[in-house]
Amino acid sequence: MAKAIEITNKRYPKLLKQIPGAPSKLYYKGKWDPEIFNNCLAVVGSRRMTRYGKDCTRAMVTAAAEAGLTIVSGFMYGIDAAAHQAAVDAKGRTIAAMPCGIDLIHPAYQDKLYQEILDNNGLILSEYPAKTEPQNWTYPQRNRIVAGLSQATLVVEAALKSGSLITARLARQYKRRLFAMPGPVNNVTSQGTLKLINDGAQMAVCPQDILTFYGIDTAAISKKQRDAVSPLEKKIITALVFGPMEIDELILRVKLPINELSATLSLLELNGFIKEYSGKYHLNAEVLDRAG
Amino acid sequence: MLVKVMSAAHCGLDTIGIDVEVNMAARGLPIFDIVGLPSKAVAESKERVRTAIFNSDIEFPQRRIIVNLAPADVPKDGSCYDLPIAVGVVSMVMNFDVPANSLFFGELSLDGALRHTKGTLLAALYAREKGVKNIFVPVDSANEAAVVDGVSVFGVKNLNQLTAHLLGQQLIEQVKYQDNKEAINHDAEFDMAEIAGQTQAKRAIEIAAAGGHNCLMVGSPGAGKTMLARALAGILPVLTERESLEVTKIYSVAGRIAAGGSLVKLRPFRSPHHTISQAGITGGGSIPQPGEISLAHRGVLFLDEFNEFPRSVVEALRQPMEDGTLTISRSKEQVSYPSRFMLVASANPCPCGYLHHPTRPCICSVREVEKYRKRISGPILDRIDLHVDVPVVDVEELSRNAEMKKLQESSAVIRERVIKARKVQTQRFACDTVCANAEMKNRHISKYCRLLPEAKQILLKSSARFALSARSYFKVIKVARTIADLGSQKEISCDHIAEALRYRPKLKEEL
Repeated sequence: MAKAIEITNKRYPKLLKQIPGAPSKLYYKGKWDPEIFNNCLAVVGSRRMTRYGKDCTRAMVTAAAEAGLTIVSGFMYGIDAAAHQAAVDAKGRTIAAMPCGIDLIHPAYQDKLYQEILDNNGLILSEYPAKTEPQNWTYPQRNRIVAGLSQATLVVEAALKSGSLITARLARQYKRRLFAMPGPVNNVTSQGTLKLINDGAQMAVCPQDILTFYGIDTAAISKKQRDAVSPLEKKIITALVFGPMEIDELILRVKLPINELSATLSLLELNGFIKEYSGKYHLNAEVLDRAG
Repeated sequence: MLVKVMSAAHCGLDTIGIDVEVNMAARGLPIFDIVGLPSKAVAESKERVRTAIFNSDIEFPQRRIIVNLAPADVPKDGSCYDLPIAVGVVSMVMNFDVPANSLFFGELSLDGALRHTKGTLLAALYAREKGVKNIFVPVDSANEAAVVDGVSVFGVKNLNQLTAHLLGQQLIEQVKYQDNKEAINHDAEFDMAEIAGQTQAKRAIEIAAAGGHNCLMVGSPGAGKTMLARALAGILPVLTERESLEVTKIYSVAGRIAAGGSLVKLRPFRSPHHTISQAGITGGGSIPQPGEISLAHRGVLFLDEFNEFPRSVVEALRQPMEDGTLTISRSKEQVSYPSRFMLVASANPCPCGYLHHPTRPCICSVREVEKYRKRISGPILDRIDLHVDVPVVDVEELSRNAEMKKLQESSAVIRERVIKARKVQTQRFACDTVCANAEMKNRHISKYCRLLPEAKQILLKSSARFALSARSYFKVIKVARTIADLGSQKEISCDHIAEALRYRPKLKEEL
């Protein structure tokens, strides 16, 4: 059963209220937690997503969601869906603004993603009641919610004439920060983002570019990560401080069966503490600095 | 006077029935001829048969004798028609009826004795399938044929013995199958305990053996890659009954079962040299014979110095690695051989071999190293489940280390674990076509590999971070499944995925 919230309600998102023509009534599904609107990042892009676009979206969104940002997008297939998916995979919260009535899933085959968004404490939003069919004009209308909810908008891939550029224009109009990710210059879906950069949008190359805007320090995150290592992991790091080691040396040093040691090493590698090459385990440079 | 004797012909692993028709004409000039697309070996059969009959003190009739091998349009090869032809001729001389419902198969020696003949097992299997009651084969091949129950196998020493049996004077005893004791001798060249250190590589080998995974070892010369691969032979479980029959069939057709040999029990371990030709690895010839990959069926194909193998040979492995069978097409016939093998490859890290070596400097340029690595094609690397580095270790120091000694398990101990893991798999795949974890396709993975939520999360995270391809992603799950089986765990946990990630393909950046 869809619920609704009026613009007069105190819990109506403040940022959205500021925009001209803000929807007077928002239908929603999921749990309405005002905190979800605190740090929103809109991630939009082409339906004709390339592999490059998919990978970049995933990398950006994963980092952003892990840092606690809410990812806002339009639930369309392509970049939108990739952004939602990456967010739920990282167990982050994400908001989908629908171009259709709140009781419809559009596109219908993304029903699994729809459910995953709700399962991860996300929200589905729409200004249209019940089973209103999506129309040509509801898509750009929906874009103003996407841009309006977010402090910043990231455009990943867009053609010169596309809905993503509409969202970008709106974000600019609302005086929000606009990020664009550069792409191959010979690709149609890069032309829009390249033009945005030319026109003054901030270029987003790595997650830190965006996180800095939100005042999130990745160094602080990695400190948090470092403090989170288990005693076992700490033992391995301490052993490696004195130089790269082969597995046999490590085994003798930390006295663990090979299967447990291998698993721990993988986790350390996954979290960026160590690297394995030439048959030896090496501590990453930045970890070395901190440990020293 | 016309006599018909039943025999069999092989076309790859398929067998077709052959009617050997021997006709002795009442008139016409004395002649002895074979028709029905005989190959050279079959055509020469008439000389062997004539001499063998003569040397068995049986008179060879001076009549017009024509032998037809029907169906006439199937090419016949091999020496197995000697016995049926001789029986046909002798039956007319000695005046006895060729017993109905009996199949004859075997090569004659000039003195009338029968020689070990290849493909006897398949002939016996064919006999059972067609409901033939008796099969007469050379005594040396009889044990091989006796594997098949439901058929009476008679091991024939020589023509005279057979004549006496068929005349009812002195019967030949039926052969009972006997397992060859030596067939289950596990002793490999090296025991795992003999290898100092290399804990990671040993673990990789153990996982490979448990799940039938392909494995690539990279390391400098002398690091112990070959030794590890040879030790692998000692930790493999014996073949199951079904597998054993499959393997024995291939070996029987290839003529690789020794005289008096029994079922192949140990997993084959094939290590062809890198000068091997494409036909050598896949099988071939105008009448296609099984190649190394089929001989390695259900066992190990060890390719030492993997980069040195010609590209054509390596690429030829791709399709059989996926499908488990290999079809060889020649103008005369098309033959399929099973080829579900476990690939174990070893390679040097660079052309000179001493990249990252602790004491010897490497003399290769970065470009040379890159070029060298490119020689192994991406698709092949992508099909290898376990990638492991074999660093050079200070063997002397390690062997002096008492603690390390304690950690070095013997092959027998590891084999026990491998057998246990295989048992779990046999139960799991009881009503499926696959036998081992490595053979799982994506649909099996979703059916049999339940990942705990944290495990899934780690996997997703790593697939983004380590840029795993879709195939590698599933390979990690498969390897994790095997690791879980080794630990007798039903569900795949975070630790299993994490350990499996250790053996993921190494990227160029890790050069």
